[in-house]
Amino acid sequence: MLDRRDFIIGACVGGAAAMAALNMPQTARAGQAPFRYLRPPGARPEAEFLSHCINCGQCGEACPNRCIKFFGPENGHASQDTPYIIPREKGCILCMKCGDVCPTDAINPVPRELNAILAGVAMGRAQVDERLCLSFQGKTCGVCYRACPLQDVAIKVGRLEQPHVTDKCVGCGLCERSCIQLPQAIRIIPRHTQMTNRENNAHRPA
Amino acid sequence: MHTAPHKPYAAWRHLNKLRWACLSAVFAMLILLPFAHVYQTYVAAHAYDLLAPSEKRIYDTMETLTAPFVSDPAYDLDNIKGNTWSGTFWGLQLSDPLAVLGQIAASLKLYWPFILTALIPVLFTAVFGRFFCGWICPATFLYELNSNLGAWLHWAGFKIGNRRFDPRLKYLVLGLGFILSAISGSVLVASIYPPAIIGREIYYLIALGGFGAGAVFFAGTLLFDLLVAKRGFCRYLCPGGALYSLLARYRIVRIRRIVETCNDCAKCNVVCEFGLDPLRDNFGQECNNCTACISVCPTNAMTFILSPVDYPEQGPGHLGKKYRREHGAEPHDTAQHAGEVQQ
Repeated sequence: MLDRRDFIIGACVGGAAAMAALNMPQTARAGQAPFRYLRPPGARPEAEFLSHCINCGQCGEACPNRCIKFFGPENGHASQDTPYIIPREKGCILCMKCGDVCPTDAINPVPRELNAILAGVAMGRAQVDERLCLSFQGKTCGVCYRACPLQDVAIKVGRLEQPHVTDKCVGCGLCERSCIQLPQAIRIIPRHTQMTNRENNAHRPA
Repeated sequence: MHTAPHKPYAAWRHLNKLRWACLSAVFAMLILLPFAHVYQTYVAAHAYDLLAPSEKRIYDTMETLTAPFVSDPAYDLDNIKGNTWSGTFWGLQLSDPLAVLGQIAASLKLYWPFILTALIPVLFTAVFGRFFCGWICPATFLYELNSNLGAWLHWAGFKIGNRRFDPRLKYLVLGLGFILSAISGSVLVASIYPPAIIGREIYYLIALGGFGAGAVFFAGTLLFDLLVAKRGFCRYLCPGGALYSLLARYRIVRIRRIVETCNDCAKCNVVCEFGLDPLRDNFGQECNNCTACISVCPTNAMTFILSPVDYPEQGPGHLGKKYRREHGAEPHDTAQHAGEVQQ
């Protein structure tokens, strides 16, 4: 039988073992992902997102574009079964349905309006590699500009349709998805890799 | 004077069938919803002609199934989303109480709109006990089929695990789950809770094209149930079961044995998936009101009572050998004769 003493001893031993397991070097921690991924639009900062997400999968079920996928164990145990987006495979169309269904506000609900999206969505920011970009090589392209849902706000074009990403880019990834270069000349730098670990963990419970 | 023993409603013997219908319906929904989601994405893409033949089959089937209920599938089907872990039904959000507590433990914050989504399940549990475990849980559906498989294998001569552990182990799992959730800052209980695993693994399989890591864990629990302890995960390890048991401690709706018509055959103890002891009036907080003991009882000696505590122990059944030996009745006497002898 399990009396109170055994229970407390068991709790201590189990807790210690689990602490040890959690402190072991994982393949990846927040900000050091083995590959580049985005969180759904409106998601909280990484550590706060992980502590709020209950892995119910409703964001994926609501996504009409099926761009939201779910982690296996590859990004550390804390990330398991949490939603992510690989922009090169499928960008986010900013329909904002995932925030509406999220029961825990891990993904904040954001109305589908320009100003609300600019204020509430920060998945990352596009970055152009001028060595790869056709327009910067003198071959007029402009595909990323035409794919951008926030045309002239997030991406402006210059001579030969050369893309210039502004600070207002929310990082939906449609430009990276559409880039005709291989490897892609424009790619999203996710917010959680732009931020320092301290900023990422700012909201994490002590 | 001998009073006529209480007679349960005849319908209660059929509640177990209703329960199976309920479990099957929930499981069928968990399969249909991902297909509905896939269908929605096909509709939203406006690309029927570009679908592969297998995708067209999904499209056509789901169109036939949902056409009577929706006018614009891309939006109307949004009304039902999610699974038993957390779901949305026409604006009503329902969540597992374990999801709420796990999320509070992980974030160390109270987010009331989410906490309130567990209110209805908590109230139902306070009244009906672990009804979720017996009547809704998609894992129970598979675990009960698994223990039926175990019974067949046993009949065929295989050795089936029937070890018993302390059922209070699961409270340890529950507590550790919360502590680890708080330490790691993520809802870890979600990855060891079978209904949550089943809900999302079915979605992964249908919508994303393959099982995730949780399916391996669930297969492990099936093997554990089969080879180590019958219904072992639910009885001894499930953190959600632990939470529901705690909430169900003073439940109102309970099963009770009618001692006057009980013949001590012990079929109720054999059929009880949770290894409880209905024969000695020992249900406790673990009973999930699955009503299997009611439907298996050959003398109709099981019924419901409304009471916050179990019926006190009533001793051996009056139709059983032990009672009749002690009270001097002939073994072949009927209940009526036994009553007369007592006078």
